[in-house]
Amino acid sequence: MKIKLLLATLGAILLSGCQSDDERPTLVVQRFFGECGAVYGKSIDVGKAETECGIVTTMLNRFAAENPDINVKVNIVAWPGYAQLSAQIAAGDPPDLVTMHQSVISDYQARSLLEPLDEMLADAGITTEMLTPAGQRGTIKDGRLYALPWDTIGRLWHINTALMAEAGLMRNGKPLLPRNPEELIDHARKFKAATGKPYLVQAQVAAPDYLVANLYTYLLAQNAVVFPDARHIRLNTPEARKIVGLYRTLNEEKLTTVAQDFPSATANFVNGGGGIFPTGTWMIGPYEEAARSGTSALKGYAVAPFPQLWGQSAAFVDGHGWVVPKDDRSSAERKAIVRFLSFLARYNSDWTRTGHLPAFNAVLSSSSFTQQPHRRDIATMAATGQQLPGFVQRQSAIQGLIGEELEAAVSGVKPIDRALADAERRVNELLSQI
Amino acid sequence: MMERRVSGMVFVLPFIGLYCFLLILPFVMGLWISFHRADLFGSRHWVGLDNYVRLFADPVFYQAMGTTFTLAVLIVPALTLITLLLALALNRASRSAAIFRGLFFSSSVLSVTIVTLIWRFVLTPDSGLIAKLLTAMGIEPLPFLSDPNLTVPALAITTIWWGLGLPMMLFLAGLQQIPQDMYEAASLDGANRWTTFFRITLPSLRRTTILVIMLQTAAQLQIFGQAQLLTQGGPSGSSRPIVLYIYEVAFGRWELGYAIAAAEVLLLLILALMLAQYWLSTRGEEVQR
Amino acid sequence: MTTAAHNNRLPLTALFGVLLGAAIMVAPLVWTLLLSLKSNSELMRDSSAAFSAPYTLENYRAILVGSDVPRWLLNSIIVSLGTTAAVLMLCSLAGYGFARLDFPFRRTLFVFVLLGLAIPEQAVILPRHQLFATLGWHNSYPGLILPGLAAPFGVFFMTQYFRAIPKDLDEAAMLDGASRLDVFWRILLPLTLPAQATLGVFTFLGSWNDYWWPLISATTSDKYTLTVGLAAAQMNYAQTSGLGFLMAQAVFASIPILIVYIIFQKQIVQAMAGAAVR
Repeated sequence: MKIKLLLATLGAILLSGCQSDDERPTLVVQRFFGECGAVYGKSIDVGKAETECGIVTTMLNRFAAENPDINVKVNIVAWPGYAQLSAQIAAGDPPDLVTMHQSVISDYQARSLLEPLDEMLADAGITTEMLTPAGQRGTIKDGRLYALPWDTIGRLWHINTALMAEAGLMRNGKPLLPRNPEELIDHARKFKAATGKPYLVQAQVAAPDYLVANLYTYLLAQNAVVFPDARHIRLNTPEARKIVGLYRTLNEEKLTTVAQDFPSATANFVNGGGGIFPTGTWMIGPYEEAARSGTSALKGYAVAPFPQLWGQSAAFVDGHGWVVPKDDRSSAERKAIVRFLSFLARYNSDWTRTGHLPAFNAVLSSSSFTQQPHRRDIATMAATGQQLPGFVQRQSAIQGLIGEELEAAVSGVKPIDRALADAERRVNELLSQI
Repeated sequence: MMERRVSGMVFVLPFIGLYCFLLILPFVMGLWISFHRADLFGSRHWVGLDNYVRLFADPVFYQAMGTTFTLAVLIVPALTLITLLLALALNRASRSAAIFRGLFFSSSVLSVTIVTLIWRFVLTPDSGLIAKLLTAMGIEPLPFLSDPNLTVPALAITTIWWGLGLPMMLFLAGLQQIPQDMYEAASLDGANRWTTFFRITLPSLRRTTILVIMLQTAAQLQIFGQAQLLTQGGPSGSSRPIVLYIYEVAFGRWELGYAIAAAEVLLLLILALMLAQYWLSTRGEEVQR
Repeated sequence: MTTAAHNNRLPLTALFGVLLGAAIMVAPLVWTLLLSLKSNSELMRDSSAAFSAPYTLENYRAILVGSDVPRWLLNSIIVSLGTTAAVLMLCSLAGYGFARLDFPFRRTLFVFVLLGLAIPEQAVILPRHQLFATLGWHNSYPGLILPGLAAPFGVFFMTQYFRAIPKDLDEAAMLDGASRLDVFWRILLPLTLPAQATLGVFTFLGSWNDYWWPLISATTSDKYTLTVGLAAAQMNYAQTSGLGFLMAQAVFASIPILIVYIIFQKQIVQAMAGAAVR
């Protein structure tokens, strides 16, 4: 009968799917940074790759090619992928190596879900002293290393200098940046009047992390204490209200793009849709390439750290790292991980082509890094960059909660003080449940 | 005799076993966990009804409930009406009617990820199809995926496009069951098109209509993929339905007990809906008799 | 599909409505197809480029060479077919048992199964995830298939169908000395084919479209189903190879099921109608 045949075929398929005749140790590498198999599908030429996605893809291809005795499986997750990682850990089947923001490490580390890496890193020939101070701060928890730091990332102002010149906002070939919130609004109005385009290109849709980074940056600049202790956040403050108020005004007066998510904002900026795109270090590479190519509508390009609007100059920075979730692993699998870690360290220099700051001192001082364009302009960020206190857990979830309330505040759906009060209440409730 | 009795058990046991293991056991486990402050990775603390108390004091939970109901209200009546009209129009033997039936059903075979992929680039204001059409007509594109007043309607439109097939088929089947002689009698009485429709067609579709409304409401109360993929519940949570809330609480905030408590409330809602359907359809039959 | 009284021509307004509806149904699909045939760099500048030549098959080539989409498609087929076959088997057996046989607690058990109709998937998915973790069943085909098998609706549906078959049939066969299993397998089961088709179509589509369970149960890319695999790509699309490639994935992933649908359209429509006639 048909059914019998169907069942037999199915059984065969199921069985063939279950058994693996692969004797090699398996290394499951899980990463974000996007999917670009169409361009970099089988390429192993790391030196030629561009963008985060291109470089990480070719690196993983290369590792698999250089280590035929390891069965490398790659999971590409949607940024930032922590819900999925949590599900995997809860399922008892976590990946072997995962990209993780340094700010998130303490969540997992405090719940004993990560493997301390001191030994494996030592086996891979990596010692703490080799890492940049920022990299160390981001990955050492309770005196142990919980990740291989991979970079330091910060937010920058990516500037379309051609449009800025049109608005009369260039001095001696450098963009004229505001020194206080009033001046920012002033510049923005002037820019809009001269070019007809918004001063800021902001990725505000489905990107709560962006608004939160602004808030953290300017709270740090005002020396505000965001987390007085591990169980509380302080958000409904005059300092925070000032910051959110500024972004509310920008939206209200349409001095910024309002309805763009990250992909559309990225494309919009490169198509000359606005003056300044505040986003991460990772866009330096692609935009530099676009401006140089001459075919793009981006005719002139510069970057600068966030301007100093209140108090001192400050930057909220974070970094990527590679962590190893706890799991039972054979010694062959541990050796595979060690080999991968040491491979990663060798390619940290290539990674800086994305625009991120390196995690290794040797790369930071190397000429291959400093001679890339714009790197000198952002070097201050390495010094002024601050992270949130390491005792704060659930930073990823907290960022989501605050971001949601900030979205409501800057779009005018909620009054600013109510949104901040709600954010404070929600975060405190989350922290009280840990 | 005894042998026969046991053999009967053998036929149902495979199902009963799996059913207990895959549905009843998790259900009971869930009830138990909902009385705990439980995290995703196994820690358990008995807290009694605390999760439920917190839930009913949680404005975000109410927001999610509100969004869920709004979605149901936007989707169910529109979907019911559209599919009823389509069924009436396409309930004929011609070849073109068959082609149209197939066309309107075709979107139902696509999976939610494909549907959202397609609709993201219909709706998105910078590169979407609607934006391109509006711009060509000189109209400013609408920010469907970011304006809090538009995201929920955008999800509703996507869902209606995706879900037309099944209710349309149910209505067609309902129309087929109406005895032909009723129409013949009506035309002998000289009834016009509208009288026939309101006196015969519509009353005969009563059971089908209740079925369609209930199935759709139950489905829309559990809407998840569209919201997670198209808007991620944003902006500021305005398009987050209850199931997405449950997902985020469980896997983003790791509060398993709290998430399951929210799921139990959803269960009660759906249960109430099923009872309403039962009551409506049985009451209807009494009235008709 | 005909009702004589209604077989007059469609009024003009209705015809217009149907055509408009059809256009709305088709437009997103055509748009998707056009986007998939364009080069990514051209679309990056302006997606209106989709309306004009040149078109290319480059994106489809890239799927076959450098992506996991074919693998995910295979996984979706395995999981959906596996679920459907197992559900049909389990529900037919149980439906026959409940409809025809006498055994202790038969009524109680049937009511017990019906109670399951009231439990939505969302109420049990989290504890089930924990349960499967304890047993180490995640990230496997059985782990993806099993949750679909607790289908009380299927049992209810098949029981009703078996009840509607006249009892004389199996009694006659029993008198001829056929065994219970023979009666079930050779006489009754073939009669339930329409019901099998209905239940099969529903189960297959339900499984094919399932998103939440594979999202949390499949932990490596080689076990993702289509729904999960394509989810990551679209939420990240700023960092993908581009719009054209993304849409080519959507088209590529839909084509098999659309072909199946077109081939079996008549049966599927009948099957759907069967569900209403109970």
